[in-house]
Amino acid sequence: MTDPRRTSFLKRVRSALGNPLRDESAISAAFADPRPAATAALAKRMRERPPEERAALLVRLSEAAEPLNIQLVQVPDETAAVEAIARIVANSLPEWGGEKRAAAWDHPLISALNLQDALADLGVPVFVTRPAPDVDRGRVRRAVADAFVGVTSAEWCVAATATLAARNPPGAPRSVSLVPSIHVAVIRAEQVVADFQELYALLNAEMDEEGRGLTDAMTFITGPSKTADIEATLVHGAHGPRELHLIVIHG
Amino acid sequence: MAEIACERYKDMAATGIADPVLQRALINLQHRFGRGTAEAYRNLPEGPELRFQAKAIRQHAIDHLDLLLERLADKIEARGGHVFFAEDAEAAVTYCQKVADRRGVKRIVKGKSMVTEEIGLNPALMADGIEVTETDLGEYIVQLAGDHPSHIIAPAIHKTRKEIGRLFADKLGIPYTEDPPTLTRAARKALREKFMAADMGITGCNLACAQTGHITTLSNEGNIRMAATLPKTHIAVMGMERVAARLSDHAILFRLLAMGAAAQQMAGYVSYIGGPAGPDSLDGPEEFHLVILDNGRSRILADPEFREMLQCIRCAACLNVCPVYGEIGGHAYGYPYSGPVGAVVTPLLVGVNRAKDLCQGETLCGACRDACPVAIDIPRMLLALRAKLAVGDDRWNVAPAGPAERAVYRIWSRLIGNRRAYDLCLRAAGAGGRLLAGKDGMLGRLPGPLSGWTRSRNLPSPAAKSFMQRWKEMEGEGGSNHD
Repeated sequence: MTDPRRTSFLKRVRSALGNPLRDESAISAAFADPRPAATAALAKRMRERPPEERAALLVRLSEAAEPLNIQLVQVPDETAAVEAIARIVANSLPEWGGEKRAAAWDHPLISALNLQDALADLGVPVFVTRPAPDVDRGRVRRAVADAFVGVTSAEWCVAATATLAARNPPGAPRSVSLVPSIHVAVIRAEQVVADFQELYALLNAEMDEEGRGLTDAMTFITGPSKTADIEATLVHGAHGPRELHLIVIHG
Repeated sequence: MAEIACERYKDMAATGIADPVLQRALINLQHRFGRGTAEAYRNLPEGPELRFQAKAIRQHAIDHLDLLLERLADKIEARGGHVFFAEDAEAAVTYCQKVADRRGVKRIVKGKSMVTEEIGLNPALMADGIEVTETDLGEYIVQLAGDHPSHIIAPAIHKTRKEIGRLFADKLGIPYTEDPPTLTRAARKALREKFMAADMGITGCNLACAQTGHITTLSNEGNIRMAATLPKTHIAVMGMERVAARLSDHAILFRLLAMGAAAQQMAGYVSYIGGPAGPDSLDGPEEFHLVILDNGRSRILADPEFREMLQCIRCAACLNVCPVYGEIGGHAYGYPYSGPVGAVVTPLLVGVNRAKDLCQGETLCGACRDACPVAIDIPRMLLALRAKLAVGDDRWNVAPAGPAERAVYRIWSRLIGNRRAYDLCLRAAGAGGRLLAGKDGMLGRLPGPLSGWTRSRNLPSPAAKSFMQRWKEMEGEGGSNHD
């Protein structure tokens, strides 16, 4: 399956580079970690992080979240997390009118919150994005579009920039953190990492050690949707969620 | 191809300078973002040194571009994506048209992408009867107004809230308002309908990752995520240089990109896309196409003098500090790439002679180099282009300057090499200058062929005595301030 366009395209690129030697060692050098010692030191630091440093990361996270207009809520346990979500749902109105509906990831942390029961008291149905062999994608799309609140988790949260990072396996579709007007993300305190170097070190480690590569999609989210396209004036809620609530469970 | 209007640079620059609305907008833009970016670099925990690490990462990628593109394409194809290698704009546009035709596409939503402006994709698709909607708020405003973007990151910077209010009242049928949140909400509502109804999304690519085989898109509004998630087909178009070798390279580059583009620590959204939605995925496109575009880039790659320009990650930090862009605005450059980056890239892409005013219009002050997140030496390349314009260059088909200009410079170089002849001319110019000067000692208009110099500025009249003369006289007086 040699595509002649691809062949001639790459030939032109190689010739522009002066036809360098492309043997096995040149190829592996092109993708090798340029600073392996630094990466190893980073992994060690993360594994051995003492509790007081973890606490400091949460302080750093809340400092980064504030100017980004992220509503950060720290709670002691799952019950308190559910209460926090119920408060958000009770105190907000659907942006586009109609009934209050929510959508939530099929994810161990989120499923443990039993949101369907908790929000039933408020009369708010919760659509869970559970993968199934015969799933109707059109139905999923309508349900997510009809939801005014989308509840997700994340794999990591970067303290320095208050960035949520998550790969999007089948039960965790990207639209839940995008289409509803309000995005609620729930994570545990242990998922907070210091900075982007740490985040990428973790992603790399998982690829190398566990063979768990990236799937078709991965998303980083830093704050609610925003724009400054009219006279450089900052406005929240351009196309994505107008509000981002980040719930961090301790213990 | 995009419309090329580089020949009108001087006229358009004059129009920009005379436009008080644009002038206020540019001051506001440079004041906020130019200073914000410098501040962000100063506060980097790793120190400003990080920009040079980022430069090394970009250089590494460019030096291994063939290997990187091969790996990227293999990985995306392995996930069921399609990769099309487009030699030029026409090939890329035709491919997109064919995909749209095969998929029966009627409505397209677009994420902001300079490269699709470069290849003139929108007009071609619209000529096929397809509705194409730009969804970045700034691009949407510009599209509704039938205008062109004037800044890489802030396309509608040349429009006031009043103009946008009138435009939305006219085109969206809302009551007139000049309140940015209300205007943004109106666009949000109108565009949400477009996102839900679209059958194709077209985006650019900020910086792909060869190691894992993903493209990435960055935005603050979330529109690019919508365009890449909701429609059944997603086409991403990338210039061939927009790729990093390793995933971890993004850790540094994305932070610097966010700082350069908007003085942010990180963009609102970063999406990695490695192909169509997997078989069990509940959302995402059924089909994914990546178009990798050359369109003159391999020619830049082949020239060691200009290869550095391919490190550019299109953040527009150089526009936000450039004293020339800050006066004339983006439209003057006559091509999608404006500012210092445009002054180098545009001549290389559309022809050096054709776009000569762009590289001759810049000041060589070096502000762009200091603002660049990957420390690209733009002034060096502006000078290289000017040298080619002076003496001609076969490789870039540059015709040399005309005989009159060359004669002037030949005389000039002789003159400044000869002390006595130079002094003589200086005295003559001094005498002539005093004759022509106004009351304020300034020359408002030089005679004959020199009049071009004073068309838009006054020239101070040469001093009665040259520095050298005064120096000698002071020494003769035994003035000993310096011993």
